[in-house]
Amino acid sequence: MPEQQGQQQAPQQQLSEEQIKALQEKIKQMSPEELKEFQKKQCIFCQIISGKVQSKKIYEDEEVIAILDVNPANPGHLLIMPKEHYSIMPQMPEDEVGHIFLVAKALSNASLRALEVQGSNIIVANGVTAGQRAQHFMVHLIPRKDNDGVNFQVPQKTIPEEELKKISKLLSKSLGTKAEKAEITPIPKIPKQKIVEAEFKEKKKSNIKKDKGKKVTKNKETKEEIKPKVENKKTVQIKKEVEEKKVESKNEGKEGINLDDIARVLGTR
Amino acid sequence: MVERIRESCLICQIVGNRVPAYKIYEDDLILAVLDVNGANPGHCFVIPKNHYPIIEQVPDAELANLFGVANKISSSIFEDLKVQGTNIFVSNGIPAGQTVAHFLINVIPRQENDGVNLQWKPKQLTEEEMSTVELKLKESIQNIGVEKIESIEKPKTTQEKIEMQPQSISDDDEEDYIAKQMRRVP
Repeated sequence: MPEQQGQQQAPQQQLSEEQIKALQEKIKQMSPEELKEFQKKQCIFCQIISGKVQSKKIYEDEEVIAILDVNPANPGHLLIMPKEHYSIMPQMPEDEVGHIFLVAKALSNASLRALEVQGSNIIVANGVTAGQRAQHFMVHLIPRKDNDGVNFQVPQKTIPEEELKKISKLLSKSLGTKAEKAEITPIPKIPKQKIVEAEFKEKKKSNIKKDKGKKVTKNKETKEEIKPKVENKKTVQIKKEVEEKKVESKNEGKEGINLDDIARVLGTR
Repeated sequence: MVERIRESCLICQIVGNRVPAYKIYEDDLILAVLDVNGANPGHCFVIPKNHYPIIEQVPDAELANLFGVANKISSSIFEDLKVQGTNIFVSNGIPAGQTVAHFLINVIPRQENDGVNLQWKPKQLTEEEMSTVELKLKESIQNIGVEKIESIEKPKTTQEKIEMQPQSISDDDEEDYIAKQMRRVP
């Protein structure tokens, strides 16, 4: 994925063929720990995590860091990475996997509220074939709007029954469960349904009434001013704009919450 | 065990055994099935048994386990199907391509030239636009009170199955409210 291009600031040395061969030989003889250490040194994202390379950090805790992608699919495209260096997801301990996706959930929530988007994609690529470019495992969180020019294609193929049976046996065996002997019918395609306008509006009204009070108190508790470390004129200007917008939205008496709306729209499909 | 099985939701029908499917994993709260119209052979869905339309509504403990299972399936796919890559893909909301109103995780085995495209054309943003997005997101995170996310206790494995009381879900005001809203949907 293209996030590497802009962030690749580490000096790249030109190596002769002999040096490359020697290096490959060296890598072969390394113990797993040494290899990990070596990969870590080469990894641009480890340098971002340690602060040697600059980035726009959105979230950070002991295990995980989230930064803005410099070559985003959409504004607000986030890279959520474990601080420890792993190349692919199966290498990660189970609790860290759980944690990184909890962070993804919270950040998805935050971006739905902040960026006036109506959806998000969470993408993980394990392996070059799957589109992985970076050496460091990461979760992509991409805010989505209608007609935003992002076009993911997941084709629908008809998988032969034989193959499905074979695969389900294989996988359920290695996952420790028995293959279910069920009669198989293909999953029917879901017909598109029109959203009923009138009903939608009605629900929206009742929703706002109920939401009042409940969510506002939450805001008061956590409201704090953002203090960027380096305040140049531009960021001050932007900060003002953001604050103005915040005041505006408060005056309207509406909460910037579209989660329920999104859920409802899905429900009416 | 599973509280709400919805007539209108295809995924709930699968969970309730009313629509047959190739199950590859099941515990009290999670089900994984093969997609019969998958992008590649071995494409599967990891599904919470409870009905949640979008990721934001899935309780943390369940979500951590769901992705834990997705990760295990991903590892199994690597070993059993001898593929060189897997994608984990979630569409959240209609603009993101979500077609079923039940949150699910796609685990997709990958081959060269298989017609799956999860790449994008990078958009060029100015420094100012990036800073605006940065500030907005940071503010939003503070507003919803996400300063630091605590790790959930070690997710339960297949062996130690999850025992969760359905009441704990219905105690949650917001969940209940959304549920009510959803029931009103024809």
